[in-house]
Amino acid sequence: MGCCYSSENETTEQDSDESKPLIPPPNPVSKPPNGTDWMPTNVPSARTDEQALLTSILTKTAQNIIDVSAADSVMMEQHEYMDKARQYSTKLAVLSNSLPQKKALALPSLTSQPHQVLASDLVPYSDVQQVSKIAAYAYSAISQIKVDAKEELVVQFAIP
Amino acid sequence: MESTLEQHLDDTMKNPAIVGVLCTDQQGHNLGCRGSLSDEHGGVVSVLAKQAAALSRDLTDSPTVCLESESGNILVRTHGTITVAVHKIAS
Repeated sequence: MGCCYSSENETTEQDSDESKPLIPPPNPVSKPPNGTDWMPTNVPSARTDEQALLTSILTKTAQNIIDVSAADSVMMEQHEYMDKARQYSTKLAVLSNSLPQKKALALPSLTSQPHQVLASDLVPYSDVQQVSKIAAYAYSAISQIKVDAKEELVVQFAIP
Repeated sequence: MESTLEQHLDDTMKNPAIVGVLCTDQQGHNLGCRGSLSDEHGGVVSVLAKQAAALSRDLTDSPTVCLESESGNILVRTHGTITVAVHKIAS
């Protein structure tokens, strides 16, 4: 099926080739490797199938599309938009001023004179041991925490 | 339920050198506190202990973090799933 080069006797012999698409459909099953022995009788049914498929795809797409331009929207003028933006930013500025500034919480103040602290004695080992003991006691105290069931979780309502 | 822990914290505060104690879990939730250490410190305390533990390669032992100051020290220590901070003034 020469497209660029086709002699006259070729066209007279294969009139049905005129209805053939120049570019074969991208279906490797229906397309034989040699384009000339394509059965012309298959063309109409294949086209119908394609048409049906295309229609179904179009219908599906149309169902999935949300047309925002058709939605009932309030059109806003440019200056209205600017006014609103200014109004909101003013309100935000007022509110943020009135909000209490949450500072990053610091541990109790340690020192303003670090050299004194650095020059002082080492932390007594007894203190470290004491903290270890306190932590161990606290852990054991927490492991003793358990749910103390005092009443039934499921109660019967007064159903006659 | 948690009365044992509360009692333990109260007993700890009976030591005149201790001015604050705090107990927190791994997420920084306060489990109990007294004195100068309040429930807002739970997060800082738990993170300090966690970061210090990350420095150590010894997984069997947890380090004690000590914040030294001129008036006293804050010692942070993890035991199991909890972390305890003790604010101790120089005696």
